[in-house]
Amino acid sequence: MKGLLQIHDPLKPKGHAVGIDLGTTNSLVAGVIHGKPVCLEADEGGAKLLPSVVHYGRDGGVLVGQRAVAQMPQHPTDTLKSVKRFMGKSHGDAETKKLGAYKFAGGTGVVRFEVSGGQPVTPIEVSGEILRALKRRAESHFAGKVEQAVITVPAYFDDAQRQATKDAGRLAGLEVLRLLNEPTAAALAYGLDKGSQGHFAVYDLGGGTFDISILELTDGVFQVKSVGGDSALGGDDFDRALAGLVLGEKPTPAEISTALQAARAAKERLTTETKVDLLGRTVTRDEFDALIRPLIEKTGVACRRALKDAELKAGELDGVVLVGGSTRVPAVRRFVAEVFGREPLADIDPDQVVALGAAVQADLLTNAERRDEVLLLDVIPLSLGLETMGGVVEKLIPRNSTIPIGQAQVFTTFQDGQNAMDIHVVQGERELVEDCRSLARFRLTGIPALPAGIGRVEVKFSVDADGILSVSAKEQSTGIEQKITVKPTHGLTDDEIEQMLLDSIDHAEDDIQKRLLREQQIEAQRILIDAAKQLSENGDLLEPAERAELEASMRSLEALSKETTDHHRLKQAIVGLDEQSKPFVERIMNRAISRAVVGQKV
Amino acid sequence: MSHFELFGLAPSVDLDMASLEAKYRELSLANHPDRNPADRVGAASRTANINEAFKVLKHPVRRAFYLLGLKGVDLEKVSMPMEFLEGILEQREALEAAMAEKNFVKVRGLAAQIERDSAVALSAGQASLRAGDVAAATSALAKVRYFGRFLEEVEAIEEDAA
Repeated sequence: MKGLLQIHDPLKPKGHAVGIDLGTTNSLVAGVIHGKPVCLEADEGGAKLLPSVVHYGRDGGVLVGQRAVAQMPQHPTDTLKSVKRFMGKSHGDAETKKLGAYKFAGGTGVVRFEVSGGQPVTPIEVSGEILRALKRRAESHFAGKVEQAVITVPAYFDDAQRQATKDAGRLAGLEVLRLLNEPTAAALAYGLDKGSQGHFAVYDLGGGTFDISILELTDGVFQVKSVGGDSALGGDDFDRALAGLVLGEKPTPAEISTALQAARAAKERLTTETKVDLLGRTVTRDEFDALIRPLIEKTGVACRRALKDAELKAGELDGVVLVGGSTRVPAVRRFVAEVFGREPLADIDPDQVVALGAAVQADLLTNAERRDEVLLLDVIPLSLGLETMGGVVEKLIPRNSTIPIGQAQVFTTFQDGQNAMDIHVVQGERELVEDCRSLARFRLTGIPALPAGIGRVEVKFSVDADGILSVSAKEQSTGIEQKITVKPTHGLTDDEIEQMLLDSIDHAEDDIQKRLLREQQIEAQRILIDAAKQLSENGDLLEPAERAELEASMRSLEALSKETTDHHRLKQAIVGLDEQSKPFVERIMNRAISRAVVGQKV
Repeated sequence: MSHFELFGLAPSVDLDMASLEAKYRELSLANHPDRNPADRVGAASRTANINEAFKVLKHPVRRAFYLLGLKGVDLEKVSMPMEFLEGILEQREALEAAMAEKNFVKVRGLAAQIERDSAVALSAGQASLRAGDVAAATSALAKVRYFGRFLEEVEAIEEDAA
């Protein structure tokens, strides 16, 4: 027998699976509800966009979203924004030299920010806070657990950046079902919406990253043909260019922060206005267009290369899709139309389209009934290779290879009696190791003493469906296999991640109590709304005495929900009301069924 | 199992791209880990093989090299005629000179010449493979391999310049 709790949304065993767009500027969470992807409320006041801003307070408290943004003027360096730009980056990376209000901690390895209230934090932890906030919002929405997510990444993210994103998911207590490339997510949202077939280009210019993808949709298979882009180019650069107009020689962090915020507002106004004021200086749209033209031009190179890699001409495309807030800039739209020779599509909100597509993929992966709908075949964005003699890169897996993929290559020893081999894994298109991204170094030991050229080591690369690489090596002459742990050069080790998880659990005890209470309050609200609705629509099915009893229970649940801090008690009261409603719900169901049988609309 | 067998095809220089792609979609739908949640590891390894085979078969140069490999020829061990090597060496020197001058128009011009030479050698190699002349196919395709190296270098240069 069913109660009101089961009328809609029966609780799923692993909770709801969601799609998350972890953006440079804003983040969103979406879920599939009644077969349609929908962005959920993510911040105070019901906003769908959660600013990707995290504030660390003196008392050790953490604020995320608009409440963190409010702290920015007073606490510019304790309020971290755009941390996505630093994901998978190491201390002293070029990205840390750009204009911005950050206080970097010293040392080597992964980037860390000095913040008040505790130890320096890594971009992975900051992203983990954003993901945790989104997870809680989604849990409040569903009044149930959310433990699985598809998280999107720029297609152009390298291995270290992907690994960092996956680690952030783990820190937030999420099982990352898939790291999905943002343009692919957008294409999925469009493709399924329109049921179309053919070739599409997705031009995605966000706050900090630019991606271009060419995809083909045929017979239920969505195949990425090529991707390209720049993981350090986006709307933030437009802001910086504008801020540069009003900043003096040696600006303070507070001045920089103010100028960047004002620049962003000016940029947004220039979408509809032709002349705006920026901290007392007039900026025309023509001036802005000229300022950002070189930045936009850089995206054209990537677009042409992606077309070439896909072996297509612009005229052979069936559509061009715009994604990312920065594609609202009129000069960007004009440029895209110019490069592809056609007007781009933007009918789905460019801010939401990635999260919506991620929610679709989460549903496809977890919902057995939908598994047969569409299959996504994605690619790796950058070539993977090994360092060989003379610092030259030997590519093992070329860019735009469809994943998952594996590739093995045999290397021979070059010295008599050589018993070890250093293996340096790199990612990138350039010829020399020093120009590529170093992913990992390890040493294969225990090679038996043999003359030069006889010892043979097979190195195998495997890239999984998330685009993440694992490497193994095997000495062939003896058949001895060696297990190798690849130490990430730029990321965190598993031990570090474990420690962070333990730390966050220690501090989270209070949070959990509060959250469980909040969840039960929402649940109580929902059941009360449902009960009231059923009473008004189907109240005639109850005897007056039954109705009075039910209404009394509803009133006491409402009162308890406002007073109690004990989530167990509240849950008991909810279950009690649910139990009491069962005979009523049964009558409602019977009525619905008999109406359906005679062909009436329920 | 050879790449051709995996796709249910007889080894051949000439493949119909549309049916190759259709077969690739069919194999992916049946084997992809997303469609086989109970056997993700096995499915991932089967899919990796399918992806690798497709990468080789759809590309005319890789396909021709692979066919030659099936006939027992290792292109890396083929020794080239002196005349050819001298020619390539000259082209390389010209490329280095153009690079030193940062003359990318010249770089592109050299690449275009090599692309034409490569296309000629490839179709000669393909014709020999069709005729079953392994020796002739080997000498033609060994040239394609050298040209390919050259073009990869040009690509890296253009990448650096971009």
